[in-house]
Amino acid sequence: MRDAYLIGAGQSDFGAFPEESYRSLFRTAFEEMTESVPNGISRDDIDEAYIGMVSIGGRQIGLPGPAVTEHVGLDGVPCVRLENACAASGYSVRQAIQAVRSGMADVALAGGTEVMNDLGRDRARYWLGVSGEMEWERMAGTTFSGVFAQIASAHMAEYGTTSEQLSHVAVKSHEHGAKNPHAHLGYECSLDDAESAPTIAAPLGLYHCCPMSDGAASVLIASEDVVDDYTDDPIRVAGAGASSGGIGLFERDSYTSIPATKQAAESAYDEAGVGPADLDFAEVHDCFSIAEIVAYEDLGFCEPGEGGDFAERGAPKLGGELPVNTSGGLKSKGHPIGATGASQMVEVFEQLSGHAGERQVADATVGLAHNIGGSGGAATVHILEREGSA
Amino acid sequence: MSPGIAGVGAYAPRTRLPGDAIAAAWGQFKAGGIEETAVPGPDEDVLTMGYEAARNALDAAGVAGAEVGAVGFATTNPPVEEEALLPRFGEMLAVPETAETTVYTGSLTAGVRALRGAARAVDAVGPALVVASDAPRGELDEALGQGAGAGAAAFVVTPDGPATLSAFASVSEPAAGTRFRQRGSDRAEGLGITTFDRQAFESTVTGALDGLAFDADSVDAAAVQATDGRQPYRVTGALPVSGERLKAHATVHTLGDTGAASVPLSIASALADDASGVVGVAAGSGATAEAVAIDVAGSVPATLALDGETDVDYAHYLRQRGEITGGAPQGGGGYVSLPAWHRSLAQRYRLEAGRCPECGRLNMPPRGACSHCQALVEYDPVELARTGTVEASSIISQGGAPPEFAELQGRSGEYATGIVAFDGPEGGSASLPALFVEVDPEDVAVGDEVEMTIRQIYTQEGVTRYGFKVRPVA
Repeated sequence: MRDAYLIGAGQSDFGAFPEESYRSLFRTAFEEMTESVPNGISRDDIDEAYIGMVSIGGRQIGLPGPAVTEHVGLDGVPCVRLENACAASGYSVRQAIQAVRSGMADVALAGGTEVMNDLGRDRARYWLGVSGEMEWERMAGTTFSGVFAQIASAHMAEYGTTSEQLSHVAVKSHEHGAKNPHAHLGYECSLDDAESAPTIAAPLGLYHCCPMSDGAASVLIASEDVVDDYTDDPIRVAGAGASSGGIGLFERDSYTSIPATKQAAESAYDEAGVGPADLDFAEVHDCFSIAEIVAYEDLGFCEPGEGGDFAERGAPKLGGELPVNTSGGLKSKGHPIGATGASQMVEVFEQLSGHAGERQVADATVGLAHNIGGSGGAATVHILEREGSA
Repeated sequence: MSPGIAGVGAYAPRTRLPGDAIAAAWGQFKAGGIEETAVPGPDEDVLTMGYEAARNALDAAGVAGAEVGAVGFATTNPPVEEEALLPRFGEMLAVPETAETTVYTGSLTAGVRALRGAARAVDAVGPALVVASDAPRGELDEALGQGAGAGAAAFVVTPDGPATLSAFASVSEPAAGTRFRQRGSDRAEGLGITTFDRQAFESTVTGALDGLAFDADSVDAAAVQATDGRQPYRVTGALPVSGERLKAHATVHTLGDTGAASVPLSIASALADDASGVVGVAAGSGATAEAVAIDVAGSVPATLALDGETDVDYAHYLRQRGEITGGAPQGGGGYVSLPAWHRSLAQRYRLEAGRCPECGRLNMPPRGACSHCQALVEYDPVELARTGTVEASSIISQGGAPPEFAELQGRSGEYATGIVAFDGPEGGSASLPALFVEVDPEDVAVGDEVEMTIRQIYTQEGVTRYGFKVRPVA
């Protein structure tokens, strides 16, 4: 099996952009991505393209992938749209890695795009729920925030996790996101701001929930045979893990842990030959603050039940034991559903390239990206390593 | 052997609107003699109230739904004007699909007619379930609207039930206009010709009583049609019991006008109080009166759930009844096709889970590979307990409900959802998402004990979907 490398990454700003389309946003990400390749790249070098998109709002439900790639002149390149709810472009990245490792492609594009802010309130309410389990969870009147609120209720009952600990996650993520020029909510917030915010779905308040964002992100994966053409400081995909199952929370044996995350993490750590202690930073899926706390535990950053304390003691802050979501995460950077997984890779690329500016983790060598779909029915975990540094 | 009632059940919504609240809102309360009215929950209708009463009656009688040979369902407000209602009702109670089903409607006398139908059928078909469930409506500023209540009574009639249905009598005369509901309207109305209305009521009731064979010495309870709190007492002189005895079982004072369930509810109340003999007379515009005599040979098991729990103010009443809510929003809603819903009725109505023959664990819903051992199996059906334990919960804030639940939330306000584990019959449990009713959402916590009931889930494309919800164990 050939090794795969992350050679370029770019994203649009995340936010609400009435003047942009899912295609124009992708163009911005695409151009930033091609410019980020250290030794440059020609559009013609791209052999395959994978586009993550849920098609929120119902815009282009069929063929949105080719609609995006033709917009940036990639006519002739095989392209497929991938849908795995919020893990759509985590899976795009996985597909690109597979294409490269298998030998079918030397350079594969993995991107994602989504527009969520051009819908009326009622239409948005419908579309936001389409990734929940429809026949039972949704028919019990449950929303997406409601499902994560249920996870929070179970975590609180089982481990004594507190609302304030959820707020510590939010405060940390906003502190990071304030340093990210692409962030949707790029401002700092206080613990009091978070604690006194309106309730969205008890026990979750406004600051425990990510925003709905417009945005796009794209990365390039290249094979070991061609990587040297594009960069002198290769970033290797050391581990690629993914798993799926249990789209309804009620179908799982535990409500305080996401099996797909644990399985994906185990594969990725095994393949990379590293453990949580070897990571310099991580981008984890924090659609809700409780999801980040559960991710700390499922990814082995701390023991089960200790995620709340991990956040409270500042471990995931820049400069802490293990900086988590240096980009601001979904909470502050934003969450354009189909683009989120690829955007996490953008942060990994910038950190490992030493281009993360104010957010830079010193001597960042090994980073992890974790993306889940729905309430955890699908997950990817990727571990990347800057070569020549170990 | 004479057919008789072997079990009694009753149900009324827990929320009540005090007459004082109506008086405060309108300057006067036109439905005399009513203290408060029972207000159906935002997801209740005659079918769900009938389910509650029937469940109570079957459990009291110790009769399983599977033993029932006939179902008679009486209401003046069926949820749809055309379409069979009872196949779904029967499925909720596991009544065999070969049972005879009859809807009695079109008149306030429907409840007594349903009892008569059961008495005549029971020897041939076995235990009959009689349900009278009603929730009339009227214009909000009229006596019919202000007195409108809700409730349901149910009876299990067997060939030898201890409360013998000993005689029936009916009288009719062509006197229309006292109370009617026009085609396409959900509100009853009347012309209010006071003397004419009273004469029609009194002459038909008295006539039916005249024709009814009963032993006046053994009768110690009476049940008379009550549109308001005064009407039944107009015929006290024709009854074998005193006005005081009549009042003892007149549910109108605390439930309001319960329509076709009025007389059945009073009969249920009398039987639960160990009456030795009951006469009941239902009367409706048109006009007809239907009377029944009941001789009670022994105690009749009864479970009545008629107590109010929460008083609502007038604004909440208007919300809860959908008078001021906006309906389903534009933009579409979550969609589960009717065939898909149909395939899952055993789960949604009766919590029928599947036991995995490979690992022995319970799956709910029982579909696809076992969610525990992943074996691809055919599940052994098992019915879960109707009580369960809350494993996770959240509150869906006002305005945050999925669009297909927006109308419900408009009526109910914020609500709780969660995951509830229901025990299997031989160990193990299975968990399902559930919406909570009859509870302050703030009071729902992990570890709470809850019980299932059946409510409307939502109405889409004109078709109401019913399914289980949960509430705190009484």
